[in-house]
Amino acid sequence: MSSTQACVSVIDDDAAVLRSVGRLLQAAGYAVQTFSSSQDFLTHPDGGAPGCIVIDLSMPGLNGLELQEALARKADCRPVVFISGRGSIEASVAAMKAGAVDFLTKPFDERQLLGAVGAAIELDRASQGAQAERRAIEARVATLTRREHEVLVLVVAGKLNKQIAAELGTAEKTVKVHRARMTRKMQVDSLAELVRTWTSIQPPSASSA
Amino acid sequence: MDVDSASQRFLGLSGRRWRLGAIPGPLAQMLLVAVGYYAAARIGFAFTLQPHPISTLWPPNALLLAALLLAPARAWWWLLAAALPAHLLIELQSGVPTTMVLGWYVSNSSEALIGAALVRAFVPGPLRLDSLRNAGVFLLCAGLAAPLLSSFVDAGLVRLIGWGERGYWDLVSARFPSNVLAELTVGPLILAWAAVGASGLRRISFTRHAETAVMLLALLATCLMVFDLPRTSTRIAPALFCAPLPFLLWAAVRLGPAGVTTATALMTVATIWGAVNGLGPFTGSTPQDTAHEMQLFLIAASVPMLLLAVALDERSRAEREAHEQRLQLTHLARVAMLGELSGGIAHELNQPLTAILSNAQAAQHFIANKTGTPEVLSEILQDIVASDLRAGEVIRRLHTLFRRGETQFRPVDLNALVGEVLDIARGDLVTRSIEVRRHLGAEIPAVSGDRVELQQVLLNLVVNASEAMSAGTPPGRRILTVCTETQAGLVKVSVIDSGPGFTAEQHERMFEAFYTTKAQGLGLGLSISRAIMRVHDGHLWGDANPGAGASFHITLSAA
Repeated sequence: MSSTQACVSVIDDDAAVLRSVGRLLQAAGYAVQTFSSSQDFLTHPDGGAPGCIVIDLSMPGLNGLELQEALARKADCRPVVFISGRGSIEASVAAMKAGAVDFLTKPFDERQLLGAVGAAIELDRASQGAQAERRAIEARVATLTRREHEVLVLVVAGKLNKQIAAELGTAEKTVKVHRARMTRKMQVDSLAELVRTWTSIQPPSASSA
Repeated sequence: MDVDSASQRFLGLSGRRWRLGAIPGPLAQMLLVAVGYYAAARIGFAFTLQPHPISTLWPPNALLLAALLLAPARAWWWLLAAALPAHLLIELQSGVPTTMVLGWYVSNSSEALIGAALVRAFVPGPLRLDSLRNAGVFLLCAGLAAPLLSSFVDAGLVRLIGWGERGYWDLVSARFPSNVLAELTVGPLILAWAAVGASGLRRISFTRHAETAVMLLALLATCLMVFDLPRTSTRIAPALFCAPLPFLLWAAVRLGPAGVTTATALMTVATIWGAVNGLGPFTGSTPQDTAHEMQLFLIAASVPMLLLAVALDERSRAEREAHEQRLQLTHLARVAMLGELSGGIAHELNQPLTAILSNAQAAQHFIANKTGTPEVLSEILQDIVASDLRAGEVIRRLHTLFRRGETQFRPVDLNALVGEVLDIARGDLVTRSIEVRRHLGAEIPAVSGDRVELQQVLLNLVVNASEAMSAGTPPGRRILTVCTETQAGLVKVSVIDSGPGFTAEQHERMFEAFYTTKAQGLGLGLSISRAIMRVHDGHLWGDANPGAGASFHITLSAA
């Protein structure tokens, strides 16, 4: 995390294209790793450093779309930029639906490639930041005792201390103690902040329900 | 200028539609007819057996008739008019009364007109001796009817004017065979050479010219021995009359109508020249008998030879046309197949273009950042050069496949050919996620074949396999295997796919033309591939694999 240089992994079966695209990204200031096939990329992990992945659509063996699927299964959520020597509408639609940032048809100009890679890295940075915050909140939640967690859920649900006590079958005074401890551990100053923090880590379907 | 273009339009000779049109200007054509008529009349006089007044061979009428047959009907009167000065010039020298000279002009012109009109009625346009039908029409109309009908006119005019003592039927029987012989020797000679033309003459190879010269010299020597030796006391063996026959056959079989008419003309000249000079075997009791003997002999020899040459010429042209059609169809199927491959080919060109562009732009960055060491920049330049050469190679290969050429047999390395074919199809195979396996045998002997046509056969098999697999096989299991091996002096190439294979009905019909299972196929690929293999004395067949998919095999004899 000490380096601010983003890392781009390039996967293309064509050696000449792979070398040249690698060089161009390097010249633009990125750390670049190149792989000549999907299998090569999957079996030699690039460390998952923040950045993005540039994938050739047509490759023997596992093609670009299949690699994108494999990455999703591995929960590698770095943004993907597709490059293709034979732009077909079906393939580009499938790639974009699966979450690709861009779909470039060869031969592409550096502005197109660097623009797409730049946007992908921006996206990765943003999601990396959001993920870091989420992990921090989750870590705080993890420090709560079972009873504190129960209190948290009921507080966020808008219950009063008296109601919580009745529900948990304890004294209101005890609930107040748990609540104070929970608020300190969650590092929030207000009920509103607690609610915001808590909902930010809920899965989207749960928060909308 | 107006007059000239008007007369050109009138004569219809301005375009290349008419054979005589190749000679510039209608005036030149009229001059040609006049000079030809004069020369032909001179030959006619030279071929007269004195004191018999009628020539053994009277070529001016035949020349005039041939000229009419080559020209459009509206030019006929001009061409006939052109012959008049030549006719007067030569005939008035002989002291014949002017009325008789003009009468002969009328009968000579009538022969040409009758013959030309009759022929034109059956064969519109300028006559070419390129089919048996045309040759038959010419022989009957120009060779028989025209001399016969005009001889009645001629004899009638002679009697009317009262020139000489001979009777009507005597005149007819003397003039008729002389003109038949002229029509049958001079007419086809002119028509055949007009069809060859000046440009055709230039296209004839040196060896063909040499062969013609040898044939004519041998024929001349034979004719001189048979027809031009002093008469001995014993009559010449009849078998010797057949001596020129082999050379006439040679001309008919090898040299076409132009060759055979030239040979016949040579024999005719040699024969009549001998008789005129008191040499050779033709010695009738009267000069008229001698003339008739010769005429009969020469007509009997020339007609079958002409028909034979025309028939062979017609057949070889039909064969050439069939060959040409096969080439056209092969080319059509090849271009259609390249059309199907166009997406893959675009892919193959886009790869090096991408590499070139990205390398060049990377170099620009390196130079701008001052981070480009000479080593890095020289590596980039090397890669640009390599990519450029690769793109050039893709285009060169395509160009050879797109070009239409004659089938040329050369030694072909099938392993190299397989590599080239898979290179051309690579873009297509990659975008269809097909894995390619090569099992190329070591020391595969070269075969003799046309590189482009054999590429077409293999490419067709590869494209079929790749289309079959991408239609019905999941991506991970699309495998194309290409094998080469030697089996008992035969080189075998197999293209094996893991597709859905084919049904019994498809197996039965897949080599039929226009049978296809593809939505956008012409259904020509396999039938043309099989035709190509037949031309190469090879075989092409398909089998269903025991597991899944189909295998196609070609075999060729080692060169």
